[in-house]
Amino acid sequence: MRNSISTRLIVLLTLALAVILGGGMLLDYRISREEILTRLSEEAAVEVSVAVSDMENWLNGIEATTRLLGRILEQREYSQEGLQQMLRDVVANNDEIFGAAIAVSPEFTDDSEGFSPYYFLDDGTVSYADLANARADYQQQPWFKEPIAAGKAVWTEPYYDAGGGEVNMTTFAVPVYRIDDNGNRFLYAVVTADVTLAALQRVAGQLHLGESSYSLLFSKEGLMMSTRTQASVMEHYSVLSYQDVNLDSWHQMFSRALLGEPSTYRFPCPESAGQCTIRLGRLKTTGWPIGLVYSQEEILSPLHQYEVKILLLGVSTLLLMAITVYLVTSRLTRPLQQLSSATAHMAKGELDVALPQATGKDEVSTLVRSFNSMNRDLKAYINDLETATANKSRLEGELAAAREIQMSMLPGSGEALWQDDDISLWAKVRPAKTVGGDLYTYFLGEKHLFIAVGDVSDKGVAAALFMARAISLIQQLSGTAMPPDKAMAELNNALERDNHSCMFVTLFLGVLEISSGQLRFASAGHTAPSLLRAGKVTTVDQETGPALGLADNQFYPINTLQLLRGDRLAVYTDGIDEAFNDQQEMYGVDRFNQEFQASGELPIAEAGLQLFNSVDTYTGELPQSDDITLLLLQYPKVDEFRETEAFDLGDGLTGRVQSWLGATLEKWSIALETVMEFDLVAEELVTNVQKYSGLEADQLLQMTVIKTANSLVLELRDQGKAFNPFQDGHRSKLGADIESAEIGGLGVHLVTQLTDQQNYRRENECNVLRVEKTIAGQDNDTPA
Amino acid sequence: MDLTTTVAIDEENSVARVALAGALNTDTAPAFELRLQDVVAAGHELTVLDMKDLDYISSAGLRVIFKAAKQTKSSGRKLAAANRKPHIDKVFEILKALPDMAVFANDQELDDYLDSMQRKARDE
Repeated sequence: MRNSISTRLIVLLTLALAVILGGGMLLDYRISREEILTRLSEEAAVEVSVAVSDMENWLNGIEATTRLLGRILEQREYSQEGLQQMLRDVVANNDEIFGAAIAVSPEFTDDSEGFSPYYFLDDGTVSYADLANARADYQQQPWFKEPIAAGKAVWTEPYYDAGGGEVNMTTFAVPVYRIDDNGNRFLYAVVTADVTLAALQRVAGQLHLGESSYSLLFSKEGLMMSTRTQASVMEHYSVLSYQDVNLDSWHQMFSRALLGEPSTYRFPCPESAGQCTIRLGRLKTTGWPIGLVYSQEEILSPLHQYEVKILLLGVSTLLLMAITVYLVTSRLTRPLQQLSSATAHMAKGELDVALPQATGKDEVSTLVRSFNSMNRDLKAYINDLETATANKSRLEGELAAAREIQMSMLPGSGEALWQDDDISLWAKVRPAKTVGGDLYTYFLGEKHLFIAVGDVSDKGVAAALFMARAISLIQQLSGTAMPPDKAMAELNNALERDNHSCMFVTLFLGVLEISSGQLRFASAGHTAPSLLRAGKVTTVDQETGPALGLADNQFYPINTLQLLRGDRLAVYTDGIDEAFNDQQEMYGVDRFNQEFQASGELPIAEAGLQLFNSVDTYTGELPQSDDITLLLLQYPKVDEFRETEAFDLGDGLTGRVQSWLGATLEKWSIALETVMEFDLVAEELVTNVQKYSGLEADQLLQMTVIKTANSLVLELRDQGKAFNPFQDGHRSKLGADIESAEIGGLGVHLVTQLTDQQNYRRENECNVLRVEKTIAGQDNDTPA
Repeated sequence: MDLTTTVAIDEENSVARVALAGALNTDTAPAFELRLQDVVAAGHELTVLDMKDLDYISSAGLRVIFKAAKQTKSSGRKLAAANRKPHIDKVFEILKALPDMAVFANDQELDDYLDSMQRKARDE
């Protein structure tokens, strides 16, 4: 079933769906991927900017608080307790501020060491420290000196606050200037706010993208304030080592960050596979470089999840579709498969095979119904055919039997050949159908040959039945001595009687006197015969009467044709001359005569078959349209003289025989010596007959003498007892002493010595004795 | 054709001379046989069949001659055929009838033979 429609449908549909679906999903993926990437980058940007802005706000808040404190101190004079109280409030009320100090310029303090109260958070408790001591020595601290030097607020580099909070921190320091009465501006104090690096790291830690992402925060000098590992805090960035990130790149990035130009650098992640990215920028508030390290894999993980999801979705959808296609196709083609297997059975002739149910109105159901109907029709048709075939073969069998019977009515069963010295005859009939209406017959009497050739109107069974009737009547008449014209009239009356179907026969009826060659014939509307004489063919003139069977008491004229030795006569039916070729042209009498003439040198049987072939060649592929009959009659040419006489065995037999024989031979100018020898031979043979045949007195002995070009033949016929003198006859021993010599039995010796051939045969209850003597060439002239 | 038989007796020499004229055939043989029997029965030393005018002879005729020859030979006498025509001679040859018969081709031979017989008789 690999090539079945359903298999192909399933495969093709699934493939097509896979391509469409795959294409669609691919397109969707491309679009979605772009969207996801855009969204991701936007989200990252928002996240980063929010985190950065939080940090900026946070730092701004610190700066603002510190600046506010500084502005207050510019305006008003506070007692030391007042300053302390204010500082304490600032630290207590601002979580982000680890500690705050007001370092008053020593010029305005009572104490030489100056005055610098400092409050800071110590385990959640606001503690106080006075930085105005030798160990702290605030006037030497960068947070005191740097703003004064700069004349404006600054963030210090991170440092470890020894003697204060004891933590890593950075400080925002604001110088406070006052204006004296003279309008001179002078430094009063430096107000500071401390931020621990831990707090900074906590805020910076909000800046991250992904699990393993972390933020970077540097001081302006490049010290690490926030990074992944606490150990690296307070180190300079140049001592940090990232794989595959060289120092030059760091320098470059760092300098660009200080200038406010963001930069990005990608490098292989140090702790996981894939690429990592560093983005470095600058905080506006403090000018600190701030950065973010993240893994691209993690950033893109939503995209990867999406890819996996869409792949799974695609595969399962395709699978579902294949199954659906399979189910639908199978369901749709199941009747087709059943039909296919059913038709295979039908092809083997099993017409009773069940066809699938067809209830719907779709094409398959229509097809199934058509097959059902075809199957039914086929069954009926085959049944009809079987019946018809049986009928036909029965009919053919009957027709074949009829043909056999019909042919058996004709001499030679349809093709006859008769040949003897006096006459040769060949005849053949070939019906156009199994049976036909043509007929021929002949009958050889003692002195006459009776011939008939006829053609019943129409052909086929009806003609055959009428032909049977006609030929029976003809054969009844053939033995009688009735002349042909009278016989024809008789036949006509017999056939006309009760001939309600008005069938008719054309007939040629002839009687040939063999010895004289005189042919007397009558024609009942039959085609005139053709005569071949001396190499030329002519159509014989004839007077004809009406066809037989139509009206009674008709007159049929008698025709006479004198046949000469060597003549050949052809009597045929119109199946020959009215044979058509594919040009609708008739074979015709002229063509027949030409062909008849051309076949003149052949023996009659061969000539007859050649004429049949000629007609067949002419008609070619066309079926034979009418029955064909041809009868050829040869009146042989003889180059011999013959005389026959009959003798009774009474007195003076030898004398009578010899006087007849002598006269005959003398007439033929036979040499006297031969005549005397033949006299002797004749006497010896006749004497034998006389002695041994036992003929009755009224039975005659027939003697024939024949002279051919080079021989003389003597033939004796008698109806006596079978006796072969050359075998059975007594033959005396010659040359013996006269005493022992036998008297008698000498005649046979004489006959065998005086002739060259001796022959005896028994024929038709007759002894036929033939002897022949070769003679020298004689004058062949016809005797006078 | 008929047969004419003329018999001349030479008593002195005891010779019977039978002249045949015509045809000695089946028809004529029976009569000739009777005639010849008479001649042979007369007991002459020599019976001469003169065939000078015999035109025809068949086996029936030869049978009669054979019979006579047999009779004469058995009684020590002779039968001779003289003056046979060629075709008569041919029949004799075919039937090998000659060896035991005195044959005379013509009258002269016959006369010579008769003379020799007479001399023989005188010498005795």
